[in-house]
Amino acid sequence: MANAAEHATPEHPPELAAERTANYRRLFRRFVLLTILCSFLPLLLVGWGINIHYTRFARQRMMDNFRTEIDHHRRVIELFLEDLSAELQLVALTHTREQLVAQGNLHTVFGLINRDQWSITDLGVIGEDGRHLAYVGPHDLMDKNYRETFWFKEVMNKGLYISDMFMGFRKEPHFVIAVLNSRTNPRWILRATIDTEAFRSLVENVQIGQTGVVYLVNGDGIFQTSPRYFGEIMGTTPFPVGEEHDGTRVYEFKGNGDGPQPLPRQVVGQAWLRQPRWKLVVRQDFKEAFAQVNHANRAMLIFLHVSGLTILAVAVLVTRHMIAAIRKRDLDADRLNQQLHQTGKLAAIGQLAAGVAHEINNPLAIVLTERQILLDMAGNGGIAEAAFQEQFPQSMNQIHTQVLRCKRITQNLLRFSRRTQSVIEPVDLSAFLGEIVELMEREARAGGVKFFEEFPADLPTILSDPSQLQQVFLNLITNAIDAHEGKPYGSVRITTASHREKGMDGVRILIADSGCGIPAENLERIYEPFFTTKPEGKGTGLGLAICYSIVRRLGGTMEVTSQVGTGTTFTLFLPATPPRELLMQLEGTTGALGACPAETLNT
Amino acid sequence: MIGSKILLVDDEVVFTDNMSKLLAHRGYRVTAVNGGEAAIKALEEGDFDVVVLDLKMPGMDGLTTLKEIKKLGLFTETMILTGHGAIDSALEAVKLGAYDYLTKPCDIDDLVAKIEGAWSKKDTMHKKDLGEKIQKVVESPKSAFTLFPRKK
Repeated sequence: MANAAEHATPEHPPELAAERTANYRRLFRRFVLLTILCSFLPLLLVGWGINIHYTRFARQRMMDNFRTEIDHHRRVIELFLEDLSAELQLVALTHTREQLVAQGNLHTVFGLINRDQWSITDLGVIGEDGRHLAYVGPHDLMDKNYRETFWFKEVMNKGLYISDMFMGFRKEPHFVIAVLNSRTNPRWILRATIDTEAFRSLVENVQIGQTGVVYLVNGDGIFQTSPRYFGEIMGTTPFPVGEEHDGTRVYEFKGNGDGPQPLPRQVVGQAWLRQPRWKLVVRQDFKEAFAQVNHANRAMLIFLHVSGLTILAVAVLVTRHMIAAIRKRDLDADRLNQQLHQTGKLAAIGQLAAGVAHEINNPLAIVLTERQILLDMAGNGGIAEAAFQEQFPQSMNQIHTQVLRCKRITQNLLRFSRRTQSVIEPVDLSAFLGEIVELMEREARAGGVKFFEEFPADLPTILSDPSQLQQVFLNLITNAIDAHEGKPYGSVRITTASHREKGMDGVRILIADSGCGIPAENLERIYEPFFTTKPEGKGTGLGLAICYSIVRRLGGTMEVTSQVGTGTTFTLFLPATPPRELLMQLEGTTGALGACPAETLNT
Repeated sequence: MIGSKILLVDDEVVFTDNMSKLLAHRGYRVTAVNGGEAAIKALEEGDFDVVVLDLKMPGMDGLTTLKEIKKLGLFTETMILTGHGAIDSALEAVKLGAYDYLTKPCDIDDLVAKIEGAWSKKDTMHKKDLGEKIQKVVESPKSAFTLFPRKK
């Protein structure tokens, strides 16, 4: 036979299915979020740590390189000036004024100084009075008197002087190195003008990236060379010059976006030359200076994003897989649960049938004896005998009584077996329990167990599933009767009452037996499937597990108290209306609520 | 055996009444009781050849009654007549020493046949026991006082 339960798949009505799907979706989102969080946090922490450490390290390296380069460049400039000064001093020491003034000699010296690289534009011998004694160079300066110029005064004082850039007689930026020969009398000065172009290219043409700027500035903030932008030679620097210091300083310039000459964030290195006191400044755009670091950072950021995307993809995939597995498990569990319920139901009815067989066999045996009595009498003296005439109606009445007894039992049983479909309908629990008691009473009485019923007349009807309730009560009452095994007499007290629990109206049912009771260690296990203390073959261990699951499903509660030797009491609460989920589920499968108009649901 | 004394034990009064009539009609001397306790009392007070015992009874049930009967150590055979659909308790009774079992409803002739069988067994056992006792008395006449106590 195609059992309905075998084919009943847990297909739920659309509304419930939607709710379930929403639940899975929520679960999905939560899992994905959790997975991402769990994967991202360590990744971010590690990434952040490495980034900070690497950036700091790399910057330090860059700054050190920057400093070394500036140091080196300063040395180059210093050496250039020192070399020239030394050469001029050598000439002044090894020549007399007369020798240098003599026709052609100064020219030779000029050529010798410029022999390797063009360094000076002119060379002159100047007397104590400030007038040229001899001159080699492109300008016509023979008649110029330098007596009042600042460099003349300085060199007369110091013996060697390297001037700042100045315009002078020739009206173009230049600077001079002058050497005083004070060993002869009169004293004289050898003065050379440094080739501005050569000097500038020496200073400025150092390639420091695309944005690197190299320039010299004197203590007053006057440019000694031309920076590539933000100023010209002899112009004034827009930045404060600051105090002189030893060594090379490297610092970060934050940028002056709002100034007249906006500059980006820069790395600035500065070092003061020993002689003259000029400051060598190298500026480079921060972005360029740290391009490598930034590049590494960008690569890392890309890597982080790719990792993030991978994690996201993996999280989504894994979670999807997991949710699918959970969903399948849920479906399997639903199916198994349904099968379990069906099995339990059949087991309960089977148990009932065994009991009922006894109840039917007894009246049948009486019927048979009545027949035999009549046959015996008829055989004795014939049916015309007065004794037979007397016995006949008695026997017939007895047969009638016993047949009616059988009929009542079979009808009751039929009513039971008909309730196999899950339908939500109004249930009068008093009448319902009465029927069950009636069915089991005789068998119970045969075992010495009496039923006591306390059903109040005004007990409200509840909306519930009679087929399921039947299973619950059949199980509980059978258990109550079985609990008297080994006791000659006992009682089962069934009480119903209106009750309110957890804000829900409903009915409370007490089934109290005077049986052997349940030991404390078993009490917490009674709802476990397959837990039974009955002998093998008698109990399946499913009864109470199914009862519990049914009562929960119907929105009710079930509690038990027990004392060994005194008895057990099951307290059930059934709500006036079953939970919405069950209603929807049954509506989808049986359309049962058609029988219950919406108004009744609210009673 | 005509005149055998039968003790009928069943909680169903109508059934015991009817069955008493039927067995009496067949020449048995029938006493009917409606519970285990009453059955034990009856056995203590009088001699019975065969006990016809129902299993499912309030108070002392059939199996317990059977055990009690066995404890009495009488030459009485017990026959189970049960209405219960499952025969496992009937088999249990046979293990405990019942002669045989029948399930209700049953034909009177089947029941009589079983009762006869039980009686024969009881009779054989009784005669065998009696023979042994006589043998002992022949060997030691004094033992007659203990082997055949005077009845109250």
